[in-house]
Amino acid sequence: MISVYELFIAWRHLTSRRRQTLLSVLAIGLAVMTLMVSQALMVGFTQELYAKTVDKMPHITVKPNPDEDHIHLFSDLAGKIRSIDGVTGVSPVLSGQATFRYKDKSKNVIMQGILIKDHDSVLHINEDITEGSLRDLDATRNGVVLGDKLAERLDVKMGDSIDASFPEANPTTLKVVGIFDTGTPEDERLSYTSLTTAQDFFDVSSVVNLIMVRAEDPDMAQTISHKIDDLGYQAASWEETNPEILQTIRIESLSNDIILGLVIVIASFGIVSTLFMVVMEKTKEIGMLMAMGVSRRSIMTIFIMESGFMGFIGAVIGVAAGILISSVSGPYTFEVGQEFYAVVSTIPFVVRAQDATVIILFTFLLNLIAGVYPARRASKLDPVEAMHVE
Amino acid sequence: MSDEKIIQITNLTRIYVDGVEIRALDGVELDIEKGEFLAIVGPSGSGKSTLLNLIGILDTPTSGTILLKGIDVTKMSDKERSRIRNQELGFIFQYHHLLPDFNALENVMMPLLINGMKTSKAREKAREMLEEVGLGDRLYHRSNQLSGGQNQRVAVARALVNNPSIVIGDEPTGNLDSKSSDNIYELLRKLNREHNQTFILVTHDERMAAKTDRIIRLVDGKVVEDSRKV
Repeated sequence: MISVYELFIAWRHLTSRRRQTLLSVLAIGLAVMTLMVSQALMVGFTQELYAKTVDKMPHITVKPNPDEDHIHLFSDLAGKIRSIDGVTGVSPVLSGQATFRYKDKSKNVIMQGILIKDHDSVLHINEDITEGSLRDLDATRNGVVLGDKLAERLDVKMGDSIDASFPEANPTTLKVVGIFDTGTPEDERLSYTSLTTAQDFFDVSSVVNLIMVRAEDPDMAQTISHKIDDLGYQAASWEETNPEILQTIRIESLSNDIILGLVIVIASFGIVSTLFMVVMEKTKEIGMLMAMGVSRRSIMTIFIMESGFMGFIGAVIGVAAGILISSVSGPYTFEVGQEFYAVVSTIPFVVRAQDATVIILFTFLLNLIAGVYPARRASKLDPVEAMHVE
Repeated sequence: MSDEKIIQITNLTRIYVDGVEIRALDGVELDIEKGEFLAIVGPSGSGKSTLLNLIGILDTPTSGTILLKGIDVTKMSDKERSRIRNQELGFIFQYHHLLPDFNALENVMMPLLINGMKTSKAREKAREMLEEVGLGDRLYHRSNQLSGGQNQRVAVARALVNNPSIVIGDEPTGNLDSKSSDNIYELLRKLNREHNQTFILVTHDERMAAKTDRIIRLVDGKVVEDSRKV
């Protein structure tokens, strides 16, 4: 238990040497502020990366067994997957390559036959439609919806007819009924048709070769994927199919954490040196306090508390300043050349209560620990010698 | 004065080893009774401060025992020693050693707070004590706003506020002019009469020593004179 007088003495030591205390607290504050802002950016980056990538990809994909080309009885399987906890959408897809030709331009594309409602529940594709409508895939015979970049390359517009062909496929003519823009590289090569159109084109009946699944929480994808494996199918989570996303986040946060952790440690060293100065200055007083009956343990408590106070106040000030900066600065926009980063061009500052709490606690604890050494020195002083220090 | 022995010192030896061995105290035998007002005198280096620090359990003897109220204090833990220093002992030093960040009232409250007294009660008691030493109008002054004599009065109030059974003074007037010095002496004497506390003062001021009831003279760590006034 901490006694009133220990608190009293610790607090008075800090308040009676305001300048030094303020400087130490500000050092901590600045470090914590940097940490807070950087953490807000990191969280923003992660969220943005998720929004631009994970959110736009199936969280889990189920493929046919190795010795088969297709998934038969897919409705049955889709139903089973839908009943797994945490699954919010299941979409059977027949996916394959096709060559699209319009006038003198041609391009190899990925053609996916989908059930509109099911697919929208997995990829929210309706949100990305910029022209026309997905619904027209069902309403129009042999309709197709294209990525905006793909449409640009082929130089096609709404209502134009495209020739689709591929070896072993039934050549057919598709009418452009919609254009989408997901902001991902998929826009250059992806096209949607109705499932039946695709089945006719690829000359199969009542089968798909892919089932896409959306999880409520992307971080649960791995778990759900295992459950689908247990049903006897080959499922892969987005973490497995796109390991680079997680890797990017992990590397970014790790280097972020290391650098910023060091910043706080350095600031805490400032506290240690301040405290050493206090101990030196107060040597005589420490001797007198001992003569008055303050135990060595209490002397230690007093100085550790001083360090803790400075750390805590510095952390609170730093977090407050960090939140202020994060909220007044708009989202951070940057230009990048790297292809992977191309999907993320602006980063919002995202302040989370949990980050603020963790940062304050971390800084407080670190400062308690940092205070131990000088506090120990103080508690080991010999009272007789201490009182005779000039 | 009663016959109750409050301090019994047996064969007390304190050797400092700092390159060479220094025998600061050498087999001191001494009994002090409750309510005594005595002076320890001697040339510098004779061991008087060492003896005082040992009685104040600020230091540990190399050998020998010190019984305070019949309890051997030389073998106690830091916690127990701290408690005894707080409750049974009051210290007055040559330099007042007031805590500079605290005002007079807070300085005097400190031993009470250390003893676990409630702040409001401690404040009341400290105020009374400061009034008793004649500083009722200086409660909120800090050490640097008080004169040498006033500071020493605060130190006296602080030493006595917990009503200790033994008050230890190491040259308590050594840093004061003769008028302030006499004032402090009179104050200590008054408190000794009123509270029947034991006062042990180390001094090289023979004039002051002569006014006490008993003089213990140390030379080279040994008691060479122990004279009581009749």
